[in-house]
Amino acid sequence: MGYSGVRGGQEAIEAAERLVERARFGGHSRWLELDQITERLGPAVDRVMGEGGLWAPHLAARAVRQSQGDLLEAAQLLRAHRSTLPRLGYSLPADTAELPAVRRVAPAHRNPPGGQLLGRSADFTPRLLDLGPEGPAGAHTCEVPNGPDLPHDRLPESAGSDPEAVLRDAGLLPDRRNTDDPEPYDITRAPARPGTPRSARLSAMARAETGSLTHLWYTCGRSPRHQSPEIPLELRRGRLPLRVTHPHTGRPVTVAAVQVTEARTVRPIARPRPDGTRFDLGYGLCFGENEPKALAMAGLDLLVHRDPHTDRLEQKVLIALDGPEASGFLEHLKLPHYVDFRSTMERVQAVRAAAGGRA
Amino acid sequence: MNDQLTARLAGPPPQPGIFDELSKREIRRAMLSGIAIPGYQVPFGSREMPVARGWGSGGLQATLSLVGEDSRLKVIDQGEDAGVNASNLRRLVVSHVGCEEETDTRHADIIQSRHRIPEQPLRDGQVLVLQVPGAEPLAGIVRDMDEQRRMHAEADYAKMWVRLYEDVVHNGLITAAAGYPVLVEGRYIMTPSPIPRWDVPKLDRSEAITVLSAGREKRIFAVPPHTSVVPLTFEDRPFEVEHTPGAACRLCGSADTYIVQEPAADGRFTTWVCSDTDFCRRRRTGDAPAPAQPVQGETA
Repeated sequence: MGYSGVRGGQEAIEAAERLVERARFGGHSRWLELDQITERLGPAVDRVMGEGGLWAPHLAARAVRQSQGDLLEAAQLLRAHRSTLPRLGYSLPADTAELPAVRRVAPAHRNPPGGQLLGRSADFTPRLLDLGPEGPAGAHTCEVPNGPDLPHDRLPESAGSDPEAVLRDAGLLPDRRNTDDPEPYDITRAPARPGTPRSARLSAMARAETGSLTHLWYTCGRSPRHQSPEIPLELRRGRLPLRVTHPHTGRPVTVAAVQVTEARTVRPIARPRPDGTRFDLGYGLCFGENEPKALAMAGLDLLVHRDPHTDRLEQKVLIALDGPEASGFLEHLKLPHYVDFRSTMERVQAVRAAAGGRA
Repeated sequence: MNDQLTARLAGPPPQPGIFDELSKREIRRAMLSGIAIPGYQVPFGSREMPVARGWGSGGLQATLSLVGEDSRLKVIDQGEDAGVNASNLRRLVVSHVGCEEETDTRHADIIQSRHRIPEQPLRDGQVLVLQVPGAEPLAGIVRDMDEQRRMHAEADYAKMWVRLYEDVVHNGLITAAAGYPVLVEGRYIMTPSPIPRWDVPKLDRSEAITVLSAGREKRIFAVPPHTSVVPLTFEDRPFEVEHTPGAACRLCGSADTYIVQEPAADGRFTTWVCSDTDFCRRRRTGDAPAPAQPVQGETA
């Protein structure tokens, strides 16, 4: 039997793709080059790498360009690309104490051990839309500032002293470190679901969609049950060296330096719970420059640790925050559903008939 | 020397395209586990596919793990081979694997489907892969995943029965439409993906293997051949399939197939056509089993 009868859908898809390509490759402006995206749209690239779960700036830039700036779609492209690659091994554990921080704020202390480093941040730049004149195509309209770096633009090399340890030593923090050093739970190889270890939760949040994570933190962290104040101990950014065991020599070798944002946060035990003698501690670490994500992650790690079951918070953190999953499921509603619509319609009509034809 | 060693460690070169070979092996293991425990939801490390989650990523992983170059593959959505979604999934698999496209259910080795089981009874050796948007039949009854797993483990389905009973009390009948809950081999309650109730009896003691794959929810389950699949209902409430008295396909005249509404000349939804386009075409050319007696009651 020929295939002529089933080409309708195929032709429609190809026509739709031609229209998309016309929008992607058409127009009068210059073609976006990958360096432009990684340099000028850094946070977008970082976000896609985080949500895509793959550290690869140029691949992420390709994804951003291909998705025409739709970052959820770009993360989906990066995830699908991951699936084409075999899993050859795991990196050695990375210690973020080694992180050479280019930015570090410690809101809980005026002058913390190791110092504060504002670093590159627009936090205190007035949120005013830049309405400066557009220059000719390709030209900079602003001079690159050339002022001197301030002496405190760099932390002393020995600034590893961490405020968490200070509190822990004083008996004010629970020690949440594992002493048995279990292998991390790989959520790309086995599904994360309630009851999986903390490493699954942290991985799920590191890959979570930034907006969803922000929303969940915003709605849960401010509920009456959690009225105790949340104060971050530390928020840091920097490039973290990653090592693997060299397959030939057996020695550790650094294969990448990935940019990360790390956050630690504390809350006192919420009143009127018993045991108000200590703080709870939460931790967040994500790819790239994404401070809201690391903060929300730390806040939610703390809340799940404190009370995983109320409002099924642990379950939400594990299964409701993934960008490609949520957006994919939402958009699947666009697929044809006429077979189940007929089935549903038949039941509604049957209920009407059973009710004597009354609505 | 070093190059050789590195090449050996890296294994065979990945097949360009969608899915690495180690992952396919993992999916096949999950399917075998599902076949060994009919109706049990096997968790698996579902990979992202070049289609969005919820668009058949689970079915695609199962199909890609099963097809070879000599397989004949049929892909349908809502029973139709020509729909955009079916066409897209078909071209993805065919371009990746180079298998044969097939529309005739009788000649297909693997049938990937969304929302339908073909009208043509499946035979020994065929595999039906159903795409599953929501794998958990208890999701609408208890929201806690731990509790859902406990209920399955202990076959504690009392709340499911209460739900069905409440439905009868409130509505006079069981309102579950597509994806009607079934009991598999007397042990696990399963949702058969959102196939219409019309298709549920086809699962019972089928000759073919049915694999149900939920990519987003990362679970695979299966109904092996010759396995009992019984829709949940009460003794005094016979299981009801979709039936509209007097309705028949306007193309082939069948009243014994699953039909969907189409607008008539006046623009109102008053006519019907078969949803299974392959079977409808064969009915019209006399190449399909003759119509059974028109459905009399509403029971199956």
